[in-house]
Amino acid sequence: MDVFLFTLFNGILYGMLLFMLSSGLTLIFGMMGVLNFAHASFYMLGAYFAYQISEYVGFYPALIIAPLIIAFLGAYVERYGLRRVHKFGHVAELLFTFGLFYIIEEIVQMVWGKVPVGYHIPPSMDFSLFNLMGTSYPAYQIFVLTVSVFIFAGLFAVLTKTRAGLIIKAALTHPETVSALGHNVPKVFMMVFGLGCGLAGLAGVLAGNTLGTEPAMAFMLGPIVFVVIVVGGLGSLKGALVASLLIGVMQTFAVSMDYSLNSLISLLGFSFDAESLWRIFVDLTISQLAPVLPYLLLVVMLIARPRGLFGTRDV
Amino acid sequence: MLNKFIKIIIFSISLVSFNFSAFAKDQIKIAMIEPMSGPLAAIGLDLIEQMEFFAERVNEQGGVLGGRHIEIVPFDNQMIAEKTIQQLRKVIDQDIRYVTQGVGSNHALNILKTLKKHNKRNPGKEVMFLNNSAVTTSFTNELCDFYHFRFDANVDMKVAALVTQLAKDPDVKKVYLINQNYAYGQSFQAAAQRLLAERAPHIEIVGDELIVPFGKILDFSPYVAKITSSGADAVLTGNWGPDAARMIIAGANAGLKVKYYSIYAGIPNAMNQMGKKVSTFTPIIQVTESHENDPDHPQWLKDIEAEYFEYSRKSPYADRIRMLIEMFATALDKAGTDNPTDVGFALEGLTSRGAKGEIYMRETDHQIHFDMVLSHVSENVEKTFIYNDEDYGMAYITDGWVSREDITLPTTCKMKRPKKS
Repeated sequence: MDVFLFTLFNGILYGMLLFMLSSGLTLIFGMMGVLNFAHASFYMLGAYFAYQISEYVGFYPALIIAPLIIAFLGAYVERYGLRRVHKFGHVAELLFTFGLFYIIEEIVQMVWGKVPVGYHIPPSMDFSLFNLMGTSYPAYQIFVLTVSVFIFAGLFAVLTKTRAGLIIKAALTHPETVSALGHNVPKVFMMVFGLGCGLAGLAGVLAGNTLGTEPAMAFMLGPIVFVVIVVGGLGSLKGALVASLLIGVMQTFAVSMDYSLNSLISLLGFSFDAESLWRIFVDLTISQLAPVLPYLLLVVMLIARPRGLFGTRDV
Repeated sequence: MLNKFIKIIIFSISLVSFNFSAFAKDQIKIAMIEPMSGPLAAIGLDLIEQMEFFAERVNEQGGVLGGRHIEIVPFDNQMIAEKTIQQLRKVIDQDIRYVTQGVGSNHALNILKTLKKHNKRNPGKEVMFLNNSAVTTSFTNELCDFYHFRFDANVDMKVAALVTQLAKDPDVKKVYLINQNYAYGQSFQAAAQRLLAERAPHIEIVGDELIVPFGKILDFSPYVAKITSSGADAVLTGNWGPDAARMIIAGANAGLKVKYYSIYAGIPNAMNQMGKKVSTFTPIIQVTESHENDPDHPQWLKDIEAEYFEYSRKSPYADRIRMLIEMFATALDKAGTDNPTDVGFALEGLTSRGAKGEIYMRETDHQIHFDMVLSHVSENVEKTFIYNDEDYGMAYITDGWVSREDITLPTTCKMKRPKKS
């Protein structure tokens, strides 16, 4: 039971981190139809800004300031970059964000150097909260979990309960009508893009100190975020949450399972010829497969339900 | 217009370099193919800096072959294996007869194979490969070649050193193996399994895991939970980069008190990234050529390292670049010519000075051998590690030395030697 609880907790925590990263991306895609390749770069910038700011004023102000700066940066990128490229179609937009990814990576290397920087968990939160089967649970992880839950609740409330959310959702499906009603649709887009980038930045602030803050962090993160938003359904916030948690819990549980096809066979009382080529497959344990599982899920999802769990349109 | 502009730039660059090379006709060039851009650029640039420093030292002391200078010519491979071959072709076209590389064994493999062909087809124009850090064991076993010399201990030797120390460690009864699932990690795993059975039969292997490499795993807490429940006292790992740092951070956060026996987990960049608390929470043990805080660190090496610090504003880390250049210079003088074949024969069996006793280039497989030191990261050190004037506040403390004999392993190399001229 303890093992189960512990693994579940780890899975949820990992899932919530994925959610924070992918919520912004799915929001931007749902709104503007732009697959933002540079999304992970804003995550990286968040970590670096938080490192730099916390050097001067400490972690907690950095937690607020860094995502805000990233959000404004994102809004500017939309206003002066993406909006101009927009009229040339989606391919141009894709290429633009693709280029932005490399530019940000180079800038980060120029400013902070090519080696990882020492961005650490704040001392005030560097203690263990409780013990479970000999393993202590760090307070910082719980803090990250709490923040991400609040973020989800806040986002959800804004989108469903407020007038701003109404306009955003309307602009998503009927931009001309919303514009005719006197709303500034481009401005709405700009703010959504900024918000999405800000969320990625926040994820960077929270994760940079446990996952490492280095120039390659955006590159290494890349694919998994796209898996989350495709599985969850492009543009769906609820989908992003469910897919994140699903992938987080699934992967964490899979790692702790050392069963292979062979152990199943021997459980049934048979033994398998150990010399044949098939040995590679029957000896493969679930834990070895764990990192591939999200991508397997992606493929299955695209075949069985191309719109994702909560999506409204096909990929 | 733009084309023309680019042409002018290329022309002027080539003009400048042409002038320069015409002026320095007598230099012995070593082409250095390493990542100078991309995610691993820091490692490549640091190696180049070291290489240039030691070459300059030789030059200042009168050079080689009666006053000729050694020149390092860097080439950027951007950490792309195809690019390495492209750059190597350029090296061959420019008639540079010595090439060195170290970051990434897949790149080294490309160089090894390309040069094997080249040297066979172009007798009299052979190019020698001075391998500075690529550690895959097969390069000096079944893939060995007369024109390849390795100046770093290979994976098997490093694992042998780690296991020899593990066997002496009274705290360790159970060990957990965790490695990256690619050529390097697999060879670490195989060597660890074999050597643990040979040298430390009293230690039980309670876990043996291969993980997806190169930072693809974000969350190491399930692995930490597995290590905890296995009851291991030590983790034996070849992991490097984020795969090592994230694992150790996750372990420290969960209060996991195991010793890490590693090759790269405690390298300077990693210990800064992890921070003092994580790096010293539990011993992170690693195996190297030498380190500054060793009580028996010889004075001559201290002097050289002080000079290096003045030059680069970095504390010394790996001593193998010094070994490479010093042995290369000695071999040139011994051969009396800059012809790679003669230099190759001169390098075979050559001995030189190391931090602890003699270092030796084995004839049979062209693998260097020297005593290795095991050390762990600590704050209580005389000299802390400094990188570009940034003080990390930590460095290494010696746990023990493993003698050259203990890491001398049999080789399967059957080398074809060229005729002596």
